[in-house]
Amino acid sequence: MFKAKIKADILKTVIDTTSILVDEAKFHITPEGISLKAVDPAHVAMVDLSLGSKAFEEYKAEDLELGIDLGKLDQIMKLASAGDVISLDYKEDAHRLVVKVANIVRKMSLVDTAGMPDAKVPNLNLPAEVVVKSSEISQGVLASKAISDHVALTADTDGFELSAEGDTDSVNLKLPKDLLVSLKSSERVKSLFSLDYFANMIKAAKSSDAILLKLGNDYPVMMEFDIADGNGHVVYLLAPRIESD
Amino acid sequence: MSQWQDKNSTINRFVKNPRETFGEKKTVHRNQCILCRGTKMLCGKEKCPVLAKYFSKEKFSPALERNDIAGSSPPSVFIGRYGYPKVAIGPMLPPVLGDTTYLDTPELWQDITIEQLIDFRTQLVRGTHLADVHNLEGGGRIVDATREVALSVNAVDMEALFESKPSGGVKFYSEAQPHGPSAPIERLTLDNPKYEPRIEKAFYDTDLKSRDAVIGLHKDGSLVSRIQKAFSVGAFGEGKNRKFVPTRWSITAVDSMIGEHLMEKTKIAPTIDEYRIYEHIALDNRWIILLMPTEWCFELIEAWYPDTAWNPYDSKIQIFSSYEFYDGRDAYAEIGGCYYASRMAVNELLTSQGKQAGCVIMREAHPGYILPVGVWNVRENVRAALRTQPKKFESLNDAMFYATSNVLDIPAKRWINVSGVLKHRLYQRRVEDFLFTGESKSDRQDVGAKTGVDAEAKEGAGTDAGYEA
Repeated sequence: MFKAKIKADILKTVIDTTSILVDEAKFHITPEGISLKAVDPAHVAMVDLSLGSKAFEEYKAEDLELGIDLGKLDQIMKLASAGDVISLDYKEDAHRLVVKVANIVRKMSLVDTAGMPDAKVPNLNLPAEVVVKSSEISQGVLASKAISDHVALTADTDGFELSAEGDTDSVNLKLPKDLLVSLKSSERVKSLFSLDYFANMIKAAKSSDAILLKLGNDYPVMMEFDIADGNGHVVYLLAPRIESD
Repeated sequence: MSQWQDKNSTINRFVKNPRETFGEKKTVHRNQCILCRGTKMLCGKEKCPVLAKYFSKEKFSPALERNDIAGSSPPSVFIGRYGYPKVAIGPMLPPVLGDTTYLDTPELWQDITIEQLIDFRTQLVRGTHLADVHNLEGGGRIVDATREVALSVNAVDMEALFESKPSGGVKFYSEAQPHGPSAPIERLTLDNPKYEPRIEKAFYDTDLKSRDAVIGLHKDGSLVSRIQKAFSVGAFGEGKNRKFVPTRWSITAVDSMIGEHLMEKTKIAPTIDEYRIYEHIALDNRWIILLMPTEWCFELIEAWYPDTAWNPYDSKIQIFSSYEFYDGRDAYAEIGGCYYASRMAVNELLTSQGKQAGCVIMREAHPGYILPVGVWNVRENVRAALRTQPKKFESLNDAMFYATSNVLDIPAKRWINVSGVLKHRLYQRRVEDFLFTGESKSDRQDVGAKTGVDAEAKEGAGTDAGYEA
């Protein structure tokens, strides 16, 4: 059983943060809330999202899995305005999710979850942790996108740096310690990432105030931020590009 | 977005930093030819000098030196693009009666030489008639006749009376096949053509969307060149949307539509298990089609040797590429219609095998390739390569080593340097490279909690462990 009501903008955030990586996702429903883990088709990045029952207006559920076509759900969400409350009701016998937006009822068929493996989250030890305002970093990403496909993220004891090298131009965003919310780094670490992915992740985090970035040397970056006023949490993992081979 | 800003292209890199890539600045101007291929007039001249130098050389048979010609159109039509939406349309015919199908069926041109191709294509006289692309039904006798010819299943016997003797020499295009001289049509009489049944059915279905018609015909086995011909005379689509489509645009439109449709299937199929190399040599072009056991992505890299069609002035090999990853691309491919033709051919193979793969096509155009012969060359020769038995390899390195030591002349390092897809494959790590196998817990709470994982996980980096493993 799964029966819930949720504000349109929160559901939209869930869709937006997930759909940058996958078209379909397997949602784990428990009495405590919903969660999902998914890897993109190119296996370069993954998302690990959880949304507690407190993020919902009403919430009643037992353990089950729902395979949802995010494109379809997004279609329905286009009918909603920001303040609307969406009602979700899983009909087990028909294997459909009944979504209600205002007076519109859409009975949405679900994706078979049998072919959707559980994504495993790598166990990483990332030495540097940077907490930064999303607005500070998004301008740097925009500037980098104009000149390159890749971006280097560096952290040391003094601050955090985002840099991109084009063929003739370069972009550098330096955020010293006092411009960061917090910084924990005992050594200098640097990794290179695909800007396509990183830019989408930063864009998805725009609704939240602060982003936690965990970094290593030629190692994945983990990006974490809260959604739904702290009742939900998103972790992205992005594998690095290593050119020295 | 203009082609110069598109980051999906390695061209961007070349144009921005000419010194590094080509040694000196003036070559930037020279390599415009590859980007332009006689269509954009980037050099500012009125006529493409590369193409123009061949116009005068060709001699025509005396049979073309007259105002009236009787012959069998293969069938063939040409829809021009200058002056759009008022363009020159009309059938093409040789001064010969009989079964001339071969003259306009690229699918049959497997073993010909450039000289043979030019020889018989030169015999095709292009009749022209100025028409509004939208005015299909009330366009008059010549418009009707042009459309009928394009839909015909056999060669169509006809007599054309021209306003003047055909002139203008042989014409070459980047997308379309070359043809002979042209003249405005004064009067046209033709035998009643018999339509190709499948195409006729789509023609009379004015509710069927053009894309669905093209895809359906391809699935049922109609030749791409036939579909494209019918497409160019506005034979498909919802009634009100039908119009003439310039030949050049129709070729790429059809390749692209079919390719995109097949790609939908490719992208959800299981991936192949090994690296494969398919090879083929034709018209002094060397082709390597590399398939990789990865998600769908595609790249066509073309290396033009000095003195080839689109590298007439430089003394160095010019290499260009366009590519896309799983999510596709937003802008038109810089290297033009050949990108879409080859992408379609690769997807034909993958869907027929029910497989997914990443694909990189490496093409070396050697000096014997003196003239552009049209996109069919790319489509048919990639298809020909894919009809052969591939060589299979364990790793990308092995595959590239075989390709560059047995078929290609340019070393692997240079291919990798200009390639978006190969670099991605070699340098981009995957999530599973960092999965710590043997670790049972994978919940988020554990992440970062363990120490000493770093070194061990790093050893695993670069392996191709399956994600579910």
